[in-house]
Amino acid sequence: MLQLKIDNLSKRFGELKVLEDFSICFSQKINCIFGPSGCGKSTLVNLMTGLVSPDKGNILGLENVSYSYIFQEDRLLPWATIKDNIMFVLESIYDKERSEELTDKYLSLVDLADYKNHYPQELSGGMKQRVSIARAFAYGGDILIMDEPFKGLHLEIKKDIMNYIGNNMSDKLVFFITHDVEEALYLADSIYIFKGPPLVLERQIDIDIPFSQRQSNIKELEIIKNKIINGI
Amino acid sequence: MTSSITKDKKPLNKFFIFLFWLVVWQIVHLVIRRDIYVPSPYSVFLKLKELVFILHFWESVFYSIYRVILGIAFSVLIGLITAVASSINRYVHDLLKPLMIAIKSTPVLSFIIIALLWFSSSNVPIFICFLMCFPVIWTNVLTGIENADKNLLEMAKIFKVKKLLVIKRIYFPSVLPYFSAACVTSLGLGWKVSVAAEVLSYPKKSIGGNLYSAKVYLDSSELFAWTLVVILLSMLFEYLFNRIVIGRKHKRRTNVAA
Repeated sequence: MLQLKIDNLSKRFGELKVLEDFSICFSQKINCIFGPSGCGKSTLVNLMTGLVSPDKGNILGLENVSYSYIFQEDRLLPWATIKDNIMFVLESIYDKERSEELTDKYLSLVDLADYKNHYPQELSGGMKQRVSIARAFAYGGDILIMDEPFKGLHLEIKKDIMNYIGNNMSDKLVFFITHDVEEALYLADSIYIFKGPPLVLERQIDIDIPFSQRQSNIKELEIIKNKIINGI
Repeated sequence: MTSSITKDKKPLNKFFIFLFWLVVWQIVHLVIRRDIYVPSPYSVFLKLKELVFILHFWESVFYSIYRVILGIAFSVLIGLITAVASSINRYVHDLLKPLMIAIKSTPVLSFIIIALLWFSSSNVPIFICFLMCFPVIWTNVLTGIENADKNLLEMAKIFKVKKLLVIKRIYFPSVLPYFSAACVTSLGLGWKVSVAAEVLSYPKKSIGGNLYSAKVYLDSSELFAWTLVVILLSMLFEYLFNRIVIGRKHKRRTNVAA
């Protein structure tokens, strides 16, 4: 079972202490990261992915793991077609045939199979976000990071993608950053509520209802939602 | 319907612009009334017509083109290599930066005179063309590399995309517009400085050499005719470059989109 142990991590940008002797442990499930803007969530994720180096401390469990990332912005190559954008991240790990197969599969999943030869600028914001989601799913990886992945998505397609994540990502360690309580309750196994900077874990709420039974346990979810909103 | 109107409109506009400046030229000629200062467009045209039937004209044009192409090719090659090296290593950048500033701010005539001491008359224009275009290529390519989208580079790093693929799919398209702009600038600049160098170094077969001869014999029509040849060649080079590099890129994209 994949586990990520953050041990006494510190990071500062100039005078701003974003993380100070921060320790936490994440396990293989959907971990929802909740907290106000600027509290240090993104820095924590950047430290985990290696985009930022810590001033002090360790992250254990990162040996030989691969990441998949759904960014807040689409981060698509504007000069490449939708298909080439997905192929771009796949070609380093799969052969061409497998890359094409995965590209087609996940573009169909996000309902964009007909747009594979289009350029990003020909697509709407929501469609571009769906390409970014398809790219992350096609890549696979041991850890999936989703930074507000459903922003600008149509309700129906959002639900389809959330269901796909809920049913197919049990073998991954998922970080799901969101500001939407409903999304968190629908998908997360554990909700981590942070404050900061420096980043501090305020509360951890574990949702013990299996994903398949979430829809039929609305009352229980409503109680958890109130707890989150009222800070209980 | 709309597109055909737009298509027809463009050459017509260009024609009128050309006609406008031709009229201005004729008016200036009529006002000054001294052929030695400003010959009439007609006499220049007649001189040009006379020149194109002489073998020496084509030999001069050929050798001048050869020198410009060689000078620009060197500047592109060395400019690209040093720009990439400067983007990788800060020390290389810091060492080259003052050299580029010095080249940009030194009058081209100083370099031509120095080059006359170093090289044979035929090689001076090549060296000067290289020297003047090199900082343009270096600066633009370096700016292109530095302006590559950091978000895309981060994305590629997270997905562990191979370095070669990152260069091909992120850096190369980022640099291309800057590189194209540098080439277009260099094509104009290259012609200007190599002809200037030819005037002073006076190689046997060169446009600059003919310009110098025309000046010595006070043949203003020929002077203007050769100047016109330089302008036309510079425009032709820029047109061909745009057709080959930018035109091909546009064609590839529209094909895929269709």
